[in-house]
Amino acid sequence: MPLTDADLVARVLLDDDHHAFAELVRNHQSAIRGLLRQLTRNDLALADDLAQETFLRAYKHIRSFRGEAKFSTWLYRIAYNCFREEARKRKELVGIDETVLEAQQDPQTTDPALKHDLMHALQLLPLHERSAILLCCQNGLSHDEAARVLDIPLGTVKTNVLRGREKLKRALAAWGPA
Amino acid sequence: MDEELQEDWLDARLREEAPYVDDAGFTAQLVQKLPARRAAGPSFRGAILLAITIFACVVTYFASGGGYFLISAVDTLATWPLWMVCTIAILCGIIATVVAAGAAWSQAREEML
Repeated sequence: MPLTDADLVARVLLDDDHHAFAELVRNHQSAIRGLLRQLTRNDLALADDLAQETFLRAYKHIRSFRGEAKFSTWLYRIAYNCFREEARKRKELVGIDETVLEAQQDPQTTDPALKHDLMHALQLLPLHERSAILLCCQNGLSHDEAARVLDIPLGTVKTNVLRGREKLKRALAAWGPA
Repeated sequence: MDEELQEDWLDARLREEAPYVDDAGFTAQLVQKLPARRAAGPSFRGAILLAITIFACVVTYFASGGGYFLISAVDTLATWPLWMVCTIAILCGIIATVVAAGAAWSQAREEML
């Protein structure tokens, strides 16, 4: 029977077990690296550096994980903080403004493939809306969990998800359900 | 209804497009960068601290002639006016509160990462 995150965390706490921590990394690396790739607009090298920093911080501070939230939520929070720190250093990672979004929504210039359009529209969202959409709609976090990860009020998360969805729907109007 | 359908459709597309990232050596590379295993766990460290404290108490007790300094200190304290004892007690309380608040704040910061 596979061990749960709680079991693995307990092993790391009790015995500083590197194998148990490696198992935790294996279980969550795809989600964390995937999120970071999308936050960094597909800068794979930067996303992997941030993912590595995320897991190293998680290991260093694992004693402060008290199991009140899911381990994955805790990791998302660390990952988002790593990203935010890096974004502060590199101003260009912080969201593109609305005028750029409007200008790039011309259907003539977009790729006909839905996947491409969706990813394109997602990457044009301002950072706060993109983060909320990625966490809630793509990674399945509740609004409450996303508020913890992003360290913003619950109402702000709901607003950001709503606005992000509206923009995505507008950008993908041609693709909507039949 | 149409709005709801569109939202469900959008969420489903987003979930479909969630990238699966193959490990490709990421975990192995990360494990090599983990700090070396701690030589002693927190409980062992706690036991060492406790043993040193007990040892220091025993040494102090015998070095001070059976703890006579304590009896003498209590005698001196008993001669002090009540207001002075109360003031010292309140000051001690304030110092303890400030230290505890500082420790709690530092812990909370660590949890924020």
